[in-house]
Amino acid sequence: MTPAALELKSRTEKGGSGLVRAALIVGVPLLLALLGPLFAGEPGPRTASFGLGGGHWFGTDFVGRDVGRQVLLGGRSVVLVALAATALAYLVALPVGLISALTRRTWLEELLMRPLDVLLAVPSLLMILLVAAVLTPGPVGLAFLVALVNIPDAARIVRAAGAEAAARPAVEALRLQGETWWRTAVGYVGRSATRTLAADAGVRLTGVLYLVATAAFLGVGVEPDAADWAVMVDRNRTGLFVQPWAVVVPALLIVALTMGGNLLVDSALAHRKKRRHT
Amino acid sequence: MRSWLARRLLLGIAQTAAVVLLVFALTEALPGDAAVALAGDQPDPERIAAIRESMGLDRPVHQRLLDWTGGLLHGDLGTSLASGRPVATYIADGFGPTLLLATLTMVLLVPLGTGLGVLAARHEGKPADRLVSSVTLGLYAVPEFALGVLLITVFAIRLGWLPPTAVGYGTDLLAHPAALVLPVLVLLSRPVCTLARLVRAGMIDALASPYVAQARRYGVPGARVRYTHALPNAVTPATQQLARTLDWLLSGVIVVEALFVIPGLGTVLINAVAERDLPVVQGLAVVFGALTVVLNIGADLVAHRFAPRTEVAA
Repeated sequence: MTPAALELKSRTEKGGSGLVRAALIVGVPLLLALLGPLFAGEPGPRTASFGLGGGHWFGTDFVGRDVGRQVLLGGRSVVLVALAATALAYLVALPVGLISALTRRTWLEELLMRPLDVLLAVPSLLMILLVAAVLTPGPVGLAFLVALVNIPDAARIVRAAGAEAAARPAVEALRLQGETWWRTAVGYVGRSATRTLAADAGVRLTGVLYLVATAAFLGVGVEPDAADWAVMVDRNRTGLFVQPWAVVVPALLIVALTMGGNLLVDSALAHRKKRRHT
Repeated sequence: MRSWLARRLLLGIAQTAAVVLLVFALTEALPGDAAVALAGDQPDPERIAAIRESMGLDRPVHQRLLDWTGGLLHGDLGTSLASGRPVATYIADGFGPTLLLATLTMVLLVPLGTGLGVLAARHEGKPADRLVSSVTLGLYAVPEFALGVLLITVFAIRLGWLPPTAVGYGTDLLAHPAALVLPVLVLLSRPVCTLARLVRAGMIDALASPYVAQARRYGVPGARVRYTHALPNAVTPATQQLARTLDWLLSGVIVVEALFVIPGLGTVLINAVAERDLPVVQGLAVVFGALTVVLNIGADLVAHRFAPRTEVAA
């Protein structure tokens, strides 16, 4: 083997170990979030707030519930709302981006993309708080809101990826052959853009996770006593001096989830790029 | 350059107008009527009607919009429903702490982010680079509140080095620098990571470029090659990301103020949202929105200075 090939091999292996490490970091909170509710069991009797011991591994929270049980229950909402929001954002961004990439009518493209440019100017969290001041969104509402603030950016990326594919001679050939719009748009342009979009979806999911957790911390889209990691951090802060576990455990899980998720996406992308080069 | 600037300013004006319209539409036209929301736990029809009349909600939408925007143009942001004080006084009260936080963060952000990026690029592939790269990559997706409470637990509660919140210091935070350390640190966490990563990538490209090799062959000292030849080219992609960083900073300020109980604009906004004090929410949203538009124009100007070929980003 040449030195260059050797180096490439070791780097690919390093990339692989990075992937494993990232998967381990994100795996703990993710499994806890998805499977935790199955093991939570029945709620025990409420005891004193911010207590330690007494059969509670991590003590009790601000209303005297078992922190361990709340932790088992509290990840599901964060993860599911984030997944739903990402999916919803693409549900709108894909058609809008693809249509404006493929259309030859400039007015249609302007009509679709200009309003989104304006939305880009509003900071995401501000937009969410603004709506929360009028409506009281539940988890579903929060998913819609987070999706809404992600649509402009996602649509721009779909359009950019689609426009690149739409300018290829293959599309011209498909048009000359009289293929239907659907087959050109979805079958060719959409498929060519999947690589870019998969990369974007990974990055977007970590951004969405951040936004969902932050909104929940600020009290948007959640009940004030909900079993939700972000809400736990917020509500149990008052007892930080006496009972830090009620804050530290959910905060660590959120850090592991977002940090691991980002590391995983990054090393998966790097891994794929390297594989394509070899 | 001049036509670019004109187009960019025009876009800014359009965006500001759109933000004003959007704020109005979202808060006034959504099904959840402000009066119903305000009546809260006792939604009896008489009370709702009374609130509606006092807010002028019984008038047609276009008239309310005209009144409101007319007021905005004269600098009148309306009056609070909860206290009856003008919204402008709320903003005046909260402005100081927020400005202090944002300024401190920006002042530290640029040297810190650039420095870390250059450091990593100089030692590409070595332990220093691997450390900087993995920390910045991991940290930048972490929500401020989660990182913040962990830092509070360690540095304020376990070690007792720093105060856990800014409670009791009022708006005069500069007199209590210890209370500012953790908030600024948390606020820096995400933007520093992006900046460092972008500078690192740009710097690695720049250091491998022919003009740097040529400068070295001429015997130009290493530090000069790095800082006067490579760095200006390396920061170009970073400047184009400035706008997104500003967006993060703004949401970061809201979270950090809530976490450390700092009486700034973010806290005013969160309280107004909780009380459903719509005029205050609207006023603050317009101020925040307009501020973002102005800062975005500034960021684009900087980016344009470094890379004149970039188009107006819309």
